[in-house]
Amino acid sequence: MKRTTNFRRLLGCLVVTAAALVGGVDAQAASAADKVEQLGQMRSLEVQSIRIVRRNDFLNVQADLLNTDRQTQQLFYRFKWLDNAGFTVGAEEGWKPVIVYGNQKKLIEAVAPVQAATDFRIELHSPDNNGRPQ
Amino acid sequence: MTKKPSLMSKLGAPLLLVSLLAGCASTSGPVTEGGGNVTYGDAKAVETVTNEFGSTDLQMIAETMARSLSQHPSMRGQPLVSVSEVKNKTSEYIDTRSITNSVKNQLMKTGVRFATDASTMDAQTDELMRQNQTGLYKKSTAAKIGNMKGAKYILTGEITSIVKKNSSTKDVYYKFSLLLKNVEEGVDEWMDEKEIRKTSRR
Repeated sequence: MKRTTNFRRLLGCLVVTAAALVGGVDAQAASAADKVEQLGQMRSLEVQSIRIVRRNDFLNVQADLLNTDRQTQQLFYRFKWLDNAGFTVGAEEGWKPVIVYGNQKKLIEAVAPVQAATDFRIELHSPDNNGRPQ
Repeated sequence: MTKKPSLMSKLGAPLLLVSLLAGCASTSGPVTEGGGNVTYGDAKAVETVTNEFGSTDLQMIAETMARSLSQHPSMRGQPLVSVSEVKNKTSEYIDTRSITNSVKNQLMKTGVRFATDASTMDAQTDELMRQNQTGLYKKSTAAKIGNMKGAKYILTGEITSIVKKNSSTKDVYYKFSLLLKNVEEGVDEWMDEKEIRKTSRR
């Protein structure tokens, strides 16, 4: 529990820094807990850091995931893109499958579908280590 | 000696009636059921029914290509693009027009404009001829012949696959390549690939 709290604080700091650097990204979405939406609690996969940058007028996002287990983990993810008013923009994304090997650090990245996107959420689901939500 | 009716027997008939009514009282919804096992699923879910080309592959390819191309400098200034053929070099049937339509759909939302391509040319020219040759239309409102705009770029590409199998495993590797070509200059301006591996075990 304590570990999770510390982890969220660390992510919050990282995202705040990233948002401040980007400019134009809504500062209200400052905490990683707000950015990452898990379907159940993942036991073996952790979002370690999130980086945001606006390139060619499109929001670019990179997230570092760590598999803390020695076994390969299956992950499904997708992004939701939001505009300044918090409304979703662009069509609903399809879920994407990713394999994360034992103890591997995996990068997932995405580009916003439209220029109007200023914020995002990452939806994550790992069927093999899906505990109860906290 | 007459036996007094128990509480249960007194309440039995009303209870039975209430339970029967309650059993029928589930709120009806806007569904017409035909007795079959038909259900609606999530069109965005990861589909792993077989390892043949599927909806998740189409969605991942279209998204990767559209996001990559939308960021390329050639797309600034909203140039006209035409979608050419994407060749299917795999051994299975894949509707590549459906993939390029999804790419086109996503790119149009970013402001990219598309010129008429082969798939819709007949419908457009038929309408153009109808307006100009049937004598049914007011000349001032009829679309003029000779004003179609030529595309600066064409999108073309191919999808290939490598299939390997043994007694217990089948492995399919797909590679989708998309290319943006400058029509006048004959220069390839942008290219990207999406690789997908699907493995199934018996």
